[in-house]
Amino acid sequence: MSTPPLVAQGLGKRFRRDWALRDLTLSIPKGAVVGLAGPNAAGKSTLLSLAAGMLAPSAGSISVLGGDPLASPEVLGEVGYVAQGAPLYRSFRVADTIEYARHTNSRWDREIAVELLTRIDSRAKVGTLSAGERARLALALALGKRPRLVLLDEPFASLDPLAARELLQLLMDGVAELGATVIVASHVVADIQRVCDHIVLLSSGCVRLEGDVEELLESHRLLTGPRRPLGAIRGVREVVRERYSGRQLTLLAITDGPIVDPSWTVDPVSLEELLLAYMAPERLPTPPTPERVPLRWHG
Amino acid sequence: MAWVTWRQHRSQGLGALGLLVALAVAAVLTHLPIGSAFDRDSLSACVPPAARTGCDLIVPHFEGQFGGLVTATRFLALLPLLAGVFVGAPLIARELEFGTYRFAWTQGVSRRRWLLSKTALLAAGIVVAAGVASLVVMWWRSPFDALEGRIGPNGFDVEGIVVPAYALFALALGVLAGLVFRRTVAAMTATLVAFAATRFLVSDFVRPHFMAPLHRVIAATAAGGAPGDWVLSNTLVDAGGRRITAGREDLAVLHAQQAGIDPHTYILTLGWRRVISYQPAGRFWTFQLLEAGLYAGLAVALVVVALWLVRRTPA
Amino acid sequence: MIEFHLDPQSGVATYLQIVRQVKDALRLGTLDVGDQLPTVREVVADLAVNPNTVAKAYRDLEREGLVVAQQGRGTFIANTLAPASLQHHAELRAELERWLASALRAGLDEESIRALISTTLREHQARRVA
Repeated sequence: MSTPPLVAQGLGKRFRRDWALRDLTLSIPKGAVVGLAGPNAAGKSTLLSLAAGMLAPSAGSISVLGGDPLASPEVLGEVGYVAQGAPLYRSFRVADTIEYARHTNSRWDREIAVELLTRIDSRAKVGTLSAGERARLALALALGKRPRLVLLDEPFASLDPLAARELLQLLMDGVAELGATVIVASHVVADIQRVCDHIVLLSSGCVRLEGDVEELLESHRLLTGPRRPLGAIRGVREVVRERYSGRQLTLLAITDGPIVDPSWTVDPVSLEELLLAYMAPERLPTPPTPERVPLRWHG
Repeated sequence: MAWVTWRQHRSQGLGALGLLVALAVAAVLTHLPIGSAFDRDSLSACVPPAARTGCDLIVPHFEGQFGGLVTATRFLALLPLLAGVFVGAPLIARELEFGTYRFAWTQGVSRRRWLLSKTALLAAGIVVAAGVASLVVMWWRSPFDALEGRIGPNGFDVEGIVVPAYALFALALGVLAGLVFRRTVAAMTATLVAFAATRFLVSDFVRPHFMAPLHRVIAATAAGGAPGDWVLSNTLVDAGGRRITAGREDLAVLHAQQAGIDPHTYILTLGWRRVISYQPAGRFWTFQLLEAGLYAGLAVALVVVALWLVRRTPA
Repeated sequence: MIEFHLDPQSGVATYLQIVRQVKDALRLGTLDVGDQLPTVREVVADLAVNPNTVAKAYRDLEREGLVVAQQGRGTFIANTLAPASLQHHAELRAELERWLASALRAGLDEESIRALISTTLREHQARRVA
């Protein structure tokens, strides 16, 4: 099946008078581990909520696994969603929660769920679990239904580094077994850059950057050199960001060839650096002119 | 969804069971003196249409003896409200308030099916519980029903098939309130207010007109309607058929007293009569059917609205 | 069995690090023909990396003829690297030891030596790409 797991066309979502998402067009490649990055209130949760059938679009459309998440429960059965804070019934025991998922999902694999729950007492009440254990339980419930798409909204928030690492290991192991596509929303890039092969950067409801991580890192370079007025630089297609400090000028640029000018020191750019540059306020959307059409990299 | 509904409402179910047991025990205990008084005074001989001498004294005495208890049982009309406030209102409101809807509504069951299954299963349980409560009350009230009838306000609201209908209505009201207000306490309050208002409006303004009331003209000095009937109005009219105000009545009595005549005899000579408007006892089950149908219909309509609205939450 | 480690700060792609670690092990002799590489799931559960990354590394190694993937059984070493490299290896090591001696005589400490090697290597790679 070659339907992309998530396709958005001109998707917009408005709450009262504010547009949380506007004119979002996106296609996620199958089998990718996608990092949905961006500052708080960028629209990441809204996008995931729309994908999980929690919200209805105000404009445009979203299609998940080829269907409408709001209208068809078949889609819901194939999507594993963990909302921010991993909401669960606090008075239920762990075993009850698993039973709940078993009864409400036609495809339930107990083995997958149980693997994630070693060292957690199945008779413990959910309200007494630590943040890390609750996150694991929520993940177990999401993966136990053998989903084709996994949506995680800030799963590492309020987890200590050890718990976060453990969750990531379990998530990647689950993905390896299921061959699922994953979208992880996080405002901390470091949490996800280890595993993402595709990145979508949102800010103020718009996509600022999107593409295959390897390609993006290959095509961007950090150029450092003496401060001077800028003209066209051979090998540089577009300057994303300029920084001045004293006599030094640093550019983050998209390259389309080798930089031959020896006055520039050329360094690779880290993913975090790249995302920060594209989030900068100077890059707020203006009506697109042909030179400023945002890049789309389809892996 | 059956397991899910049971597991989530298990404590409510056990609470309802406890309440029914308490009701049954209270009914049995309070009925002991009633039953023995009924037998001791041979009140069975006073049950209409039978009437022997002395009934017009014993019956009021009996009713006065236990009047407090009878009035107290009228409060059982609030029991169906519990279905709305404690089962219906938290159903969706709780999920929305604590964010657990983000878990419940992203499993393989659509929101509508989730809501419909839960509501239907809970409705079934509530109908059974309300039915049992109604039967207990009917058993408890049987001596009073025999003597004073059940179509009146003492008996109608707590007996028969209207009790489960009220409970269904309350449940549906609670569910919709939860969806609209999204907070448990607000939903509970709204359910209470709406339930009370509807019950009041229907019982005072709609029920009397389910069928055209009958009229009976009797002597001005006679007592009210036949036992067992539900008297809607009891007015004095003059020879020309005009209603006599309290002022005019007082004036007549005063006039009679000044003239040294017995007021009752005087009123009779004036040609005044009493007009009773009433619903006969025999219409009890018809009215029950009509009112139960009304409330059940309202319940269905509310659930349909809820099913439509749930798709648009949280919008 | 080889155990991989990941250096996320190195600026080198994860799959390249895995490829390199397999090649290093082959050169050092810690991996030999017939040895099994950890399964994708084992690597993923250990390192918390993208399974596609591990799969890509193993595919690259297979393309270079160093490993062979056997359906349902795992990925196994098929070839070692040319023994000649061991000799180059020895010459380079000797050269490196001479350089290290000079660096230490010049007063550099271990930290500075590492920093110098790191920066020079990075710049060298960047120039190769650009």
